Amino acid sequence: MFLWCQKKIKNNFLTIFRSPLMRATLALIFVFLIGVIFNAHGAFFRWDTHRDMFRHISVFAILACGMTIVIITAGIDLSVGSVLGFSAVLFSLLTIQRGLNPILALFLVFLAGLGCGLISGALVARFKIQPFIATLAMMVFARGLAKWISGGKKISTAILDSSGVYRYVEPPQIFNLLNSKIFNGNLAVVTIIFLFCALISSLILGKLRLGRYFYAVGGNEEAARLSGVPVAQTKLIAYGLSGLFSAVAGICQAAQEMQGDPEAGLTYELTAIAIVVIGGTSLAGGRGSLGLTIVGALTIGYLEKILSLNAIGEASRLMLTGAIIIGAVLFQRARK
Amino acid sequence: MKDRKNFLLMILVSGASVLFILLSSCKAGKEEASRAKAAKKVVRPQFIIGLSQCNLGEPWRVQMNLDIKNEADKHPELKVIFKDAQNDSLRQQAQIEEFINAGVDLIIVSPKEAAPLTAPVAAAYERGIPVIVLDRRVLGEKYTCFIGADNKKIGYAAGRWIVQRLKGQGKVVELKGLMTSTPGQDRHTGFREAIKGSNIEVIFEADMKWLEPEARKEMESALARFPKIDLVYAHNDPGAHGAYLAAKAAGREKEIIFVGIDALPHEGQIYVRQGILEASFEYPTGGKEAILFALEILQGKPVPKEVVLPSKYFTRMNIDQGGESIEKLLGPQYAEYLSAVANLMVLEHLKLNFRNLILAQ
Repeated sequence: MFLWCQKKIKNNFLTIFRSPLMRATLALIFVFLIGVIFNAHGAFFRWDTHRDMFRHISVFAILACGMTIVIITAGIDLSVGSVLGFSAVLFSLLTIQRGLNPILALFLVFLAGLGCGLISGALVARFKIQPFIATLAMMVFARGLAKWISGGKKISTAILDSSGVYRYVEPPQIFNLLNSKIFNGNLAVVTIIFLFCALISSLILGKLRLGRYFYAVGGNEEAARLSGVPVAQTKLIAYGLSGLFSAVAGICQAAQEMQGDPEAGLTYELTAIAIVVIGGTSLAGGRGSLGLTIVGALTIGYLEKILSLNAIGEASRLMLTGAIIIGAVLFQRARK
Repeated sequence: MKDRKNFLLMILVSGASVLFILLSSCKAGKEEASRAKAAKKVVRPQFIIGLSQCNLGEPWRVQMNLDIKNEADKHPELKVIFKDAQNDSLRQQAQIEEFINAGVDLIIVSPKEAAPLTAPVAAAYERGIPVIVLDRRVLGEKYTCFIGADNKKIGYAAGRWIVQRLKGQGKVVELKGLMTSTPGQDRHTGFREAIKGSNIEVIFEADMKWLEPEARKEMESALARFPKIDLVYAHNDPGAHGAYLAAKAAGREKEIIFVGIDALPHEGQIYVRQGILEASFEYPTGGKEAILFALEILQGKPVPKEVVLPSKYFTRMNIDQGGESIEKLLGPQYAEYLSAVANLMVLEHLKLNFRNLILAQ
């Protein structure tokens, strides 16, 4: 009786331990413990530190939301960083320099991001270009677009008149709103936006038929096609969503920098992919979830924060980050 | 079916590119035409200058090209061909070779790295094409003129200003540029040399890689660790701005002084005017000077082999007068420091010669 009981507990424990979410969480707890040990004279135990970490990682995590969906369909989206830069510049141009109604500007920027995503999606789904190549092209193109509309300069609150004199404007209300904190200054607004994006994408992935299509296309495209899944449309929507989330991230980035920088978001796509992979979503497609991505985002966020708090040198920082990414992924895979 | 689709895509993409190129060349043509009209009499350019810029991804280099263009526009006898090497040394080598083959009258190059660019620059120089090297050096002597500013001196001046401003004591955060790049190293060593002997303590330093979001993240960590910070010294203005935003989010921006470097007209100088930075130290681009020296060279006049650009600093007090020279800040200590460095270099040189002597025997 006792033995049987013990066995059952052990079995239950193993099943829990084997679930990807649990494994990802263990990696997070490991990083968190490092933070508790190297707490930088108690700075790690203050809520401000955690709030700032959430703020810093939010933009990356918003990108990772779209990236998760694309990776589940067995694709990849390298253009998210550039679309972020383009959206940041466009949003700043429209609101700061043109003084457009913020709601209208938001709508237009969403549309632009969605458009970029849909173009990549069409290249992948209709013209059968490999996702890596199609989104690589979009990455280069969108960066060019950002530099073109900004004239290669940051779009800031100082506007050059035709007479060559600078004129200063107050940052639009929407910038201050997005850059502020709520709940008595305990949570950044961008973090709330990330949570909202995460909620929407997890609803799509978990509750809608569209979500099941994403998994089906990523798991086995041929089987999905034969069982009546509209493969091309599904892929198109996946990349479109990724573009849309990139636009959201771009708006958050512009608000946090108080300007539109055409160079913003350089190499952010790599961080977004790292977040998704550390969470445990498979690059082969068909497996993964948004919960995993959230845990992955926290892992990367805490790792960066701890290294930064302790003022670790750049060389050791890079080596440690690389080692911990490999460690986390190996830990994920050790299933048997 | 698939072929037809691909064909369609090909036609679409190539059509769009052709249209785009046509449009942009039309625009350029129009600009040129209006410029010629403004000059009233059409002067055909006598001299063609080839410019190879190492990377137009940095605002400072965008400004350098702008300075070159603005100055060149005043001289209708000059025509400048702009090329961007996109941070790739091999591409920049190819650009110099293209200029040689095209037979330009003068080459201005702002090299990405010294070693890979030395040979092509020397080749042009030996062919009799004058070469002006801007900002970063090439090895050896085979160029006409080098124009650049001294980062160590600027870092030193910033350090002296900070010592004066804090009356010799305080807690400072240093946000460093990419420490594998020479500007980052020089702005660091110059600053550290200047604060030696004072009671200024650098309590936190981090590499923000010239990037504003990184600077904000690092500053958040510094704010979390230290309840009292007097001043932030950032190796560029975007870094100082990022630190300011972090402090503002923590409600501590009033108690901290922010100092940056570069003082671009559309960036650092504006931050100073807005009261975000208390001072910004100019790192001049030398674009205007390059064109002025190019004119001298093309008219056959002699020019110095090496030009060190004077630098200015901007504070709220002096920005309306166009800044002040940093020379006043340096003081007698800087001369001492320089001679110490020179002695060290002589010593190294002697050591090397001595070793060679022994090896030869």
